[in-house]
Amino acid sequence: MKKTKATIFFIVFISATLRISAQRTVVNLVAKMDVRPQYELWDGNEVMLMGFTKLFGTPLSLPSPTLVFNEGDSVEIKLRNMSQSAPHTIHLHGLDVDQKTDGVPNLSFSVPHDSTGSYIFKAPHAGTYLYHCHVISTIHVQAGMYGVIIVNPPDGSNTTWEGGYAYDSENTWMMSELDSFWHQYNYIHMEGQHEHTNGTPILDYNPQYFLINGKSEKQLKGPDNSIISKIDETVYLRLVNIGYYGNRISLPEGLNAKVISSDGRPLPAAYDTDTLEMYPGERYGLLLQPSEVFEDSIQITYFDLNTQISKSIQQMPVKVSEVNGLNTGLVSKGLNIYPNPFKNEVYISTNNLHSYILTVSSMNGAEIMQLEVSDHLELQKLDMADLSAGIYILNINTEASSQNFRIIKN
Amino acid sequence: MKKGLLIFCCTLLYFASHSANTSRSLFIHGGNLIAVNDSLIPYVSFNEFDSFSQNNPVITLNLGDSLSLWVYNRDTIEHQFAIKNIDKPSISIPRLDSIHIDYFFSQAGNYIYYDPLNYPTNTFLGLAGMIAVKNHNYSSFYWNIKEHDKLWNTRIRAGAKVDWDTYYPKYFTINGKSNPMINEDSQARITGKVGDTLILYIANTGQSIHSIHFHGYHVTVLFSSKYTTHVGRSKDTCPVFPLESLVLQIIPDKPGEYPVHDHNLVAASANNTYPNGMFTTILITE
Repeated sequence: MKKTKATIFFIVFISATLRISAQRTVVNLVAKMDVRPQYELWDGNEVMLMGFTKLFGTPLSLPSPTLVFNEGDSVEIKLRNMSQSAPHTIHLHGLDVDQKTDGVPNLSFSVPHDSTGSYIFKAPHAGTYLYHCHVISTIHVQAGMYGVIIVNPPDGSNTTWEGGYAYDSENTWMMSELDSFWHQYNYIHMEGQHEHTNGTPILDYNPQYFLINGKSEKQLKGPDNSIISKIDETVYLRLVNIGYYGNRISLPEGLNAKVISSDGRPLPAAYDTDTLEMYPGERYGLLLQPSEVFEDSIQITYFDLNTQISKSIQQMPVKVSEVNGLNTGLVSKGLNIYPNPFKNEVYISTNNLHSYILTVSSMNGAEIMQLEVSDHLELQKLDMADLSAGIYILNINTEASSQNFRIIKN
Repeated sequence: MKKGLLIFCCTLLYFASHSANTSRSLFIHGGNLIAVNDSLIPYVSFNEFDSFSQNNPVITLNLGDSLSLWVYNRDTIEHQFAIKNIDKPSISIPRLDSIHIDYFFSQAGNYIYYDPLNYPTNTFLGLAGMIAVKNHNYSSFYWNIKEHDKLWNTRIRAGAKVDWDTYYPKYFTINGKSNPMINEDSQARITGKVGDTLILYIANTGQSIHSIHFHGYHVTVLFSSKYTTHVGRSKDTCPVFPLESLVLQIIPDKPGEYPVHDHNLVAASANNTYPNGMFTTILITE
């Protein structure tokens, strides 16, 4: 009898454990550091980064991968530190997690080199958040250890939050600056200060590069960054400032921009505007509802918080047409399509799409390939070596939505 | 709607029936602010007593109270006195002279008193504090946030000009203190229990914009002297503009110790050393 009870208890325990495990969304991040300059800036200069990637072999980029969850998800972020030097953490900025998960050294925990740490939490309110290392945060954030966290409503639908605004497509822009002197080998590696302890020297901050999703100037002219929409489509624009400067966003009137949320919460009173200022650590959510055909740009002014003097203006192209819009932002529901343009292969990574149908078509609508992707596959490789050079449409079709992305073969 | 109006009227009646006359004195003195690395920064401040202190005292009033204020100028040069967003002209205080002025605040909130003469130079030297006008009895905390540049203060105190277009401050303080000393200041260090209503009064008396990020909890904006439309917003990061004052409400839902800091992360340093800047922690117990 005792044996039977023990067996039943064991089966129930195992079942419960597996169920909990099955419901948890696990994201693997690797913290690492470049050993030589590899991140190309708009003028051809290359700098070293310290940052997060999903796979050790993937080069570091700015920002680090976007993480996408649904509200209520049980999440585990496993951080593997392979940076050869400093300890690192993940601060879940705005997610209001408990102290031990907050990612602040001494108050929670830090992950030394060649070690792994886990951040376990429940994804809170639908909204836009960010994550960054909080070890000598002044240096590590500037080095590149930051990314966006998007929390969708519980059903994962294209809605700003449960009972909120519906939208057709979304773009996420993370603003930052880069001071190349902070990315020199001796500084980023902090020789003699591998623990990156208190008392660390900080350089004067005089950034030369002003970034949107890690790009600036002519790099912003490509299809990956533009907002391309159709009349009467609704675009959800998520704005994040992780820099040390202020941002002034100037929007063309034709976009009919409405500010609806900030810092992961709906505003008590949404309002229409053509200008928005945002400051380090803030996030804003805007709905764009163009009612006319036009081509213009959204201007982002970067200004010094001490002098309030503008240091740079970056321009993001906007095109509103009468035909179907293309969501060309590489971030949508956690999708990352890279490289784009490509030569032979395209990778599609996601952490939040359990299954989807992928279709590649030519610009005149002819279907070239179709693939059903399932089983939580985080990284899908497409072999497109046989295609001729040109522009193709990659469609991702899920239960909740269908979105087009423009990919370019060189 | 009717219930809200009733509560509002009752609150007004309560504070009207408990209104009082508050008499306070402020003494203008020059001295040195002692920075976190023991560096001395030339400073001039309003002081509670007739000697130099690097804190400008917080004047707390209940809504409905009237303030009877004497200001004594013990400095060697002329100063002025004014309260931001209060419709009264600034008053000159000749050297070694004094003034008396009465104020009545018709709205709860946070008000900055300061020396507007040659703005921003005298304010920047340290002459700015806050008046908290309350309509509640919750635990309250007060942050006079400011950045400093020793070279700037030295030049201004010596009567020399500075070029604000090249301003790059090196020290970042709350109530004149930097990390880790901010947690030693009982007016600044936010403490409480889960479920408490905690009220934070912030005044930016510097010239930089500070973007204050709260770990652990979202806060609700109760008052903004610059953007009244921000009232009611739930935020984890609150920009505070020069001469802006805020009142924020925190209702902690869990225990723990959580940082609050300027997310212009350069301001987490002092004289180019991390992490001796505008960084403190909230401590919440069960």
